[in-house]
Amino acid sequence: MRILSYVFETSLAFSEPVSQHSFVLRCLPKPTNTQKVIDSQLYTDPRVALSEQIDGFGNRVVMGYCPQEHVSFDFYTTGVVMVETQNTDTTPAHPMYLQPSELTHLTAELVAWAQSVGAAALGVASSDAAATLAPEAIMEVAQTLCLSVHEHFAYVPGTTSVATTAADAFAAARGVCQDYAHVLIVLCRALGIPARYVTGLMVGEGATHAWVEVHDGLRWRGLDPTNNCVVGEDHLMFSTGRDFNDCPIERGVFRGNALQTQTVKASVGLDAGAVNAVTARLKMR
Amino acid sequence: MYTRLVGYTDKINQQLARYGVKFGIYKGGEFDERLFPFDAVPRIITLSNWEFLERGLIQRVDALNAYLRDIYNEANIIKDGIVPKHFAYASSGYLPQCEQIVPPQGVYSHISGIDLVEGKDDQWYVLEDNLRIPSGASYPLIARNLCRKCDAETFRKVPLIDNRDYGDQLREVIDAVSCGGITVVLTPGRFNSAFFEHSYLAERIGAVLAEPSELYVEDETLYYRDATRNVKVGAVYRRISDEYLDPLCFLPESLIGVPNLMGAYRAGNVAIINAPGNGAADDKGIYYFVPQMIKYYLGEEPLLKNAPTYLPYYDDDRTYVLEHAHELVIKDVAEAGGYGVVFGSDLSPERLEEIKQQIVAEPRRFIAQEVIDFKCLPTWIDGELVPRKADLRAFVLSGKRTSVWPSGLTRYAREAGSSVVNSSQGGGFKDTWVLSL
Repeated sequence: MRILSYVFETSLAFSEPVSQHSFVLRCLPKPTNTQKVIDSQLYTDPRVALSEQIDGFGNRVVMGYCPQEHVSFDFYTTGVVMVETQNTDTTPAHPMYLQPSELTHLTAELVAWAQSVGAAALGVASSDAAATLAPEAIMEVAQTLCLSVHEHFAYVPGTTSVATTAADAFAAARGVCQDYAHVLIVLCRALGIPARYVTGLMVGEGATHAWVEVHDGLRWRGLDPTNNCVVGEDHLMFSTGRDFNDCPIERGVFRGNALQTQTVKASVGLDAGAVNAVTARLKMR
Repeated sequence: MYTRLVGYTDKINQQLARYGVKFGIYKGGEFDERLFPFDAVPRIITLSNWEFLERGLIQRVDALNAYLRDIYNEANIIKDGIVPKHFAYASSGYLPQCEQIVPPQGVYSHISGIDLVEGKDDQWYVLEDNLRIPSGASYPLIARNLCRKCDAETFRKVPLIDNRDYGDQLREVIDAVSCGGITVVLTPGRFNSAFFEHSYLAERIGAVLAEPSELYVEDETLYYRDATRNVKVGAVYRRISDEYLDPLCFLPESLIGVPNLMGAYRAGNVAIINAPGNGAADDKGIYYFVPQMIKYYLGEEPLLKNAPTYLPYYDDDRTYVLEHAHELVIKDVAEAGGYGVVFGSDLSPERLEEIKQQIVAEPRRFIAQEVIDFKCLPTWIDGELVPRKADLRAFVLSGKRTSVWPSGLTRYAREAGSSVVNSSQGGGFKDTWVLSL
């Protein structure tokens, strides 16, 4: 068990004033069996009425509308979660996590890759391989796939975008955590292992991070292909979905022909005093 | 019964053209708008035949609504092994964004357009369920009105169930699910090929015709922006397809959506007619399972038949389909509106072989059906009555209860012998008379 405090700040600057700005934010910690949310706060500037809901993927989403003209839009979230890796998230795997999605289409190359890695690991190579395996064996296959993704990729920021598909990233063999995650998801699903995308924060990272959860038949377990590790007490989960498109931190539409620049700051694992100081500063605004 | 009426065919078609009764079609990547030719010879359905049809349609739509509620919530029909999960969730109409939403009154498909044909064996067969935005009710409505104006005498003599209260019936359905506030008909705008239907229906149900820019969501509530004030909207009869409905939930590039409409809907503050995500139930692949849904949810025997259908997903069916492909209709599950439908008998041996290989490679993508030999209706073409194949789109309305509009859209094939009656393929339409005796 570990207590993680976090601060996450995003500033959007517009080149021209915008108005009638509707937005959806997914940057509050997701409550699960392995992640107890002790406290979480969200502020926006300009300040507007916010409403919180649970979306179709079980994520906390915050929506709002700012009708007035503004040239910047900032949102801040702070909170404390208790990561309890001794617990397990036994939510069943919805069949949607076996289906391809916009950014995680199956291709012949990816299927062949999954099958060759799967065959080498445990002699599994079919699209419903997972149905016959024990949870530990599923996890072993998934971890082998995770390692193969980690070794296949070179971490090169700026070579891919948020719209890059798993197939394109795989072909380029370069990308960022989002691309690693998408490819691992496709490989797992190709062997019948339910897999989903996770957006969140990680201790030591100054921006958002992405990883994968696979369902071993009993429970969801985190795998981080960028760092080639099983997710433990360093990861703080915001949202999950079929791919990146289901869990963007921020989505918005507004009136106004403006260019948008974004600055993000994140820190996790701060001591309580530092969090209180940040919270107090934010509340002053 | 209709001889006098047929004399007014040209006049009625001229009036329809003036009203802008058109539909849009895509052909070879080009968008085209066409007039929808009207044939004054009606389809006539006897009261006893209609009463049977009505019971069958109500049963079918009640089961489809139950399926939608189930599939987006507990998914018992999957757990009980009736519908394979690979089928249910591979459907492109299944939208995970709609998971765990139960719409007001639990109704998903408020307006269902069920396409049927009457076989030469006198049985009705359902060919397709349309649960998204079934269009076309305004065509027979407006045509009936014009027919009555041209030839009032016929309508005084023929014992006909009046169909002019479609607007009232629809309003009753919408009022039953409204979350309080005004009702709007959401149209993409006047350049849309079905704009005439949107404005006509808005007038008929007494709703405000709204374009996307006139609506906004604040505090999980949908508002209509008027010149002087903003008014809460309790129900949206939207004529914009799911993927464009809310750019913050579905396609981000949509310019015709209302941002956060799905949030207001999820919060239970507005009814969306029909519910987003209904494509999960009117998929050509899911069609196969509708008779089983009727048994599963209602414990009843289905009254209306499906066309005999095979799913290549099942081994036995695939073997049969591959052997009999030359005499079956093969449908691509992902396509709608008469597209992706081929008759095995029309294909060259090479093309047939190609299709077979596709079926083997992607069995879930296809269904195959026996060709139904369905009845022709007399149709007035070039000065004589000739037989033409025709189908019927029945409109089923679900609010507090489910009922069937005693009319419908009868579409006929333009060419003799052709069985493709879909309006996107160039056919025309007829009025549908339900006799009161």
